[in-house]
Amino acid sequence: MKMNPVYKREMRVSSRSVRLAVVLLLFNGSLALVALLNMYSTLAQVRLTAEVQYTSSLDLYLFVAVLEFALLLVIMPAITAGSISGERERQTLDLMLASRMEPWEIVIGKLAAAFSTMGLLIVSSFPILAMVFVYGGVTMRDVGVLLLSYVAAALFVGSLGLFSSALCRRTTTATVIAYGILGAVLFGSYGLNQFVHYMSGMRVDSYLASIGQGAGQASSGGFLYLLLANPASTFLMVIGRMTGRAEASVNVSSWFGSHGDSLVIRNWVGVSLALQIAAAALLIWASVKVVEKKRGR
Amino acid sequence: MMLKIRDLQKTYGSYHALNGLDMDIREGALYGFVGPNGAGKTTTIKIMTGLLNADSGTVEIDGLDAMKRPRVLKERIGYVPDHFGVYDNLTVSEYMEFFAACYGMEGLTARRRCRTLLEQVGLDEKQDAFVESLSRGMKQRLGLARALIHDPSLLIMDEPTIGLDPRTRLEFRETVRELNEQGKTILISSHLLADLSELCSDIGIIESGKMILTGSMDEIQDRIHTSKPVIITVQENMPAALKLLKEHPLVRTITVKDREIMAGFQGDARQEGELLRQLIEAGILVRGFMREPGSLEAVFMQITSHEDERVVLSYEDESGL
Repeated sequence: MKMNPVYKREMRVSSRSVRLAVVLLLFNGSLALVALLNMYSTLAQVRLTAEVQYTSSLDLYLFVAVLEFALLLVIMPAITAGSISGERERQTLDLMLASRMEPWEIVIGKLAAAFSTMGLLIVSSFPILAMVFVYGGVTMRDVGVLLLSYVAAALFVGSLGLFSSALCRRTTTATVIAYGILGAVLFGSYGLNQFVHYMSGMRVDSYLASIGQGAGQASSGGFLYLLLANPASTFLMVIGRMTGRAEASVNVSSWFGSHGDSLVIRNWVGVSLALQIAAAALLIWASVKVVEKKRGR
Repeated sequence: MMLKIRDLQKTYGSYHALNGLDMDIREGALYGFVGPNGAGKTTTIKIMTGLLNADSGTVEIDGLDAMKRPRVLKERIGYVPDHFGVYDNLTVSEYMEFFAACYGMEGLTARRRCRTLLEQVGLDEKQDAFVESLSRGMKQRLGLARALIHDPSLLIMDEPTIGLDPRTRLEFRETVRELNEQGKTILISSHLLADLSELCSDIGIIESGKMILTGSMDEIQDRIHTSKPVIITVQENMPAALKLLKEHPLVRTITVKDREIMAGFQGDARQEGELLRQLIEAGILVRGFMREPGSLEAVFMQITSHEDERVVLSYEDESGL
């Protein structure tokens, strides 16, 4: 099977660059430092109190997982936002489109290259993440679900960057738009729920006060479902379930007031991951169409 | 016919970039595509290379409808744009191999093809150098090698010598000539008319999205020749000379300045000789008789700035015809 030429070239160029090696060193170096400090403090505690704090390994797991997720949300748009617009700026996009390469091959090659770079960062940190297995508490299934949430978020965020890159002539503009949309998805959905919940609380309270009743049940209503598209909320749920911490974050029906039980709420993680993957597919398709439409300009 | 374009139309909003363009390029031709800025050269080239869709019209390559079968078009056309389009972090051979892969060539076949082409353009010793370290002329030659990677039958070059120094331009022209002699049909768009007149076998002049003059260089040279006025210096018997010229069927315009008559004469070299004989036989003492020398540049300027219309009107006005 022939390898996608764009992917092959991107991999060759990025492996040649010092930047990737430096990012890997800094990322894994800081993770390793935190992990070793964590182990040191655990051992110091054992020496002092003869008590093993198994929860500290979960703290480490939580720290690494959250850091990786945050990194994914920050790095993925930065890589993909320059993919198509960068080709336009170098004036190489037309050369590829004039060849036998189809627009979808270019888009997929670019996304796969960004995925590989991100994957390298995540996989290279696995030995540090695996330190948790020394103490136990996290199963392989847990790690599998975590990986799946990473993949879905990376696909979604990466394709968002790719789409803005296909739309814009300049990488700077594409990056600003990609982060703008991502910010709207992450903080907008949260802020909107918070706002609606607050307003609903005011309305319910004033109504109940008028009829002389006690406290009522305010909620953000249907706006809650906007959070299905928010990779951070789903990730928090996954990690909350895994570590047994932050019980409130696991129970979606209690977010932003009280919501009734529903099929979507019961299968929140699955629906959210499927939605993110579907949105990514739609954005990739739109990127291909934009590249086709804007060729030669 | 290698390339046949009929009634090509392209608009950007209310702007008509191409306005019913027709073009024919015969197999083995070295075709010069000339026109002022904004005439529609790049738009035409982008449609030919499949980078832009036309609003209407047809593009045929080797008798096949390229618009309905874009893959055929891409396989038969090699494109050298007016910019280099290079990746700085790749070596010359990696750059070539990348574009070979874009045409489905990989492994030993691709490497051999790349080496042959780099030798052909004189970059074989630079194959391990990074593209960013190449000079402008070398980058242009690399672009040419890249465009030939899939052995296209038609090579399209958009202003390929722009920004090159005279020596590099000369070398580039030589390479193009060699490629043409090897059987490649080549289209070059350029505003450097001197380059084209020496290099090309055929020429097409485009203005406002329409082809206004096209043909082989010989045909164009004839048109250049006849477009220039014959200057006749009459020593004696000016009225008889003017009478004869006014009645001559091949004389279109007449301007008189002192003893000089500038006659717009649409005859060939033989007919020029006959006109001179008629003047002498009519008893006119002719001291000078010559056709003003013309050039491709002059024709280009004349056609694209409509100088012809203005000049004819001034002749008529001055001579009272």
